Amino acid sequence: MRNLITLILRYSALIAFLILELIAFFLIINYNKSQKEIWAHSSNLLSGNLFKQVEKIQDFFELQEVNDSLLTENAKLLETIINYRIDSKNNSFQRFEKLDTTFNYQLIPSRICNKTINVRNNYMTLCKGKNDGLKVGMGVISNNGVVGIIKTVSKDFATVLLVLNSQSRISAKVTSKNYFGNLIWDEGDVRSLSMVDVPKHADIAVGDSISTSGYSISFPPDIHIGTIESYSLIGGSNNYKIKVKMKEDVGAVEYVYAIKYLQAMEKDTLLRLENE
Amino acid sequence: MNKVWQRNIIRAIIILLIQLVLLKRIDITFGEFNYIHFTIYPLIIALLPYKMNKTLLVVVGFSLGFFVDLFYDSIGVHAFTTTFIAYMRIYVLNLLSPTEGYGKTGLTSFSYGIPWFLSYIGILLFMHLFLLYSLEAFSFIYIKEILLRTIFSFMASLFLLTVGQLIFNPKY
Repeated sequence: MRNLITLILRYSALIAFLILELIAFFLIINYNKSQKEIWAHSSNLLSGNLFKQVEKIQDFFELQEVNDSLLTENAKLLETIINYRIDSKNNSFQRFEKLDTTFNYQLIPSRICNKTINVRNNYMTLCKGKNDGLKVGMGVISNNGVVGIIKTVSKDFATVLLVLNSQSRISAKVTSKNYFGNLIWDEGDVRSLSMVDVPKHADIAVGDSISTSGYSISFPPDIHIGTIESYSLIGGSNNYKIKVKMKEDVGAVEYVYAIKYLQAMEKDTLLRLENE
Repeated sequence: MNKVWQRNIIRAIIILLIQLVLLKRIDITFGEFNYIHFTIYPLIIALLPYKMNKTLLVVVGFSLGFFVDLFYDSIGVHAFTTTFIAYMRIYVLNLLSPTEGYGKTGLTSFSYGIPWFLSYIGILLFMHLFLLYSLEAFSFIYIKEILLRTIFSFMASLFLLTVGQLIFNPKY
């Protein structure tokens, strides 16, 4: 106790100084209008900035969660659109919305774990597998078009044979005119595909839209793929060779949707029977 | 001892009268140039006895500043400043300590010469004015005005203080 008093006595000048300065400071910011305003403003700025930074950090941690929920939401919307397209001829959207049937085509959203696009046979690995309902043969699309077809699945992963693969062959059509053909990839340009097997009497023009035909079990009809960039007749053949500019840049895709077709089995069995 | 206090109190009253009645009204303005303001009352703190209790000095500084504030309508600004220089006075004195020490009568030019006195009052006055105008503006976005005000007022006030010191040449 005596030590404390000695200490206070020794530093009494400093203590008095600090206390009086504090009092003076409070007097300044309480009894002077402009100083008061500046003080209030700058302390607001300080705390405001602090809150903003905290918010930013918090946002960063929530980003993944937000992304996932948006992805699910997107998948739902896209699913509705795809299924409505098939039904639209005999239904208005209002009636379609009220129908309580399960959709024929269902979308399973997934992130991409790995992909190559710079070699001859390009593949992509999805971060979802058998456990999430993925199966061999399912089509994979993104917001902007077709990406590929699932080739193998493991428990938690799936490999996708990209459209940018020399083995890829996707059934497609010229949307407005209903001419059918197959899309293949002529190596090199990752933004363009070739459409073959279109007969030469077909009335096509540069800029026409190309979409999926819906004939395979992998893709629903009318998924937009790209537009015609140029076309030419193959020498000695009755078919056009059409250069298609893809809307999707497969190299930049981060999220995709695998398409689950409920009647796939039925259709597949029928097709096989036909072939035998 | 009593005589020293009497002198200090009378001097404080006279200086405050000059400051608050006379100098406060002097307004030197050339168009946008209004940076000169005479401030001499820090002299009261500077001339208080060397051996004065530090705590008392700080309290006196605060009271003096508060009193001046009442006339300048700026509660707290002068009080903050005078408290500060009252506390810093001992460090300035240590910095300027003459070889024979502070044994003589008062902290004036009579005792230690004009150059010593000028640097002593100059340092205190500069600190005082810079802090005063900073607090008045209360934000360093006005740093240009603060510095101009400080420098011009400093020169004008120091001139007045020197003249006063030469005329009266007080012993205490």
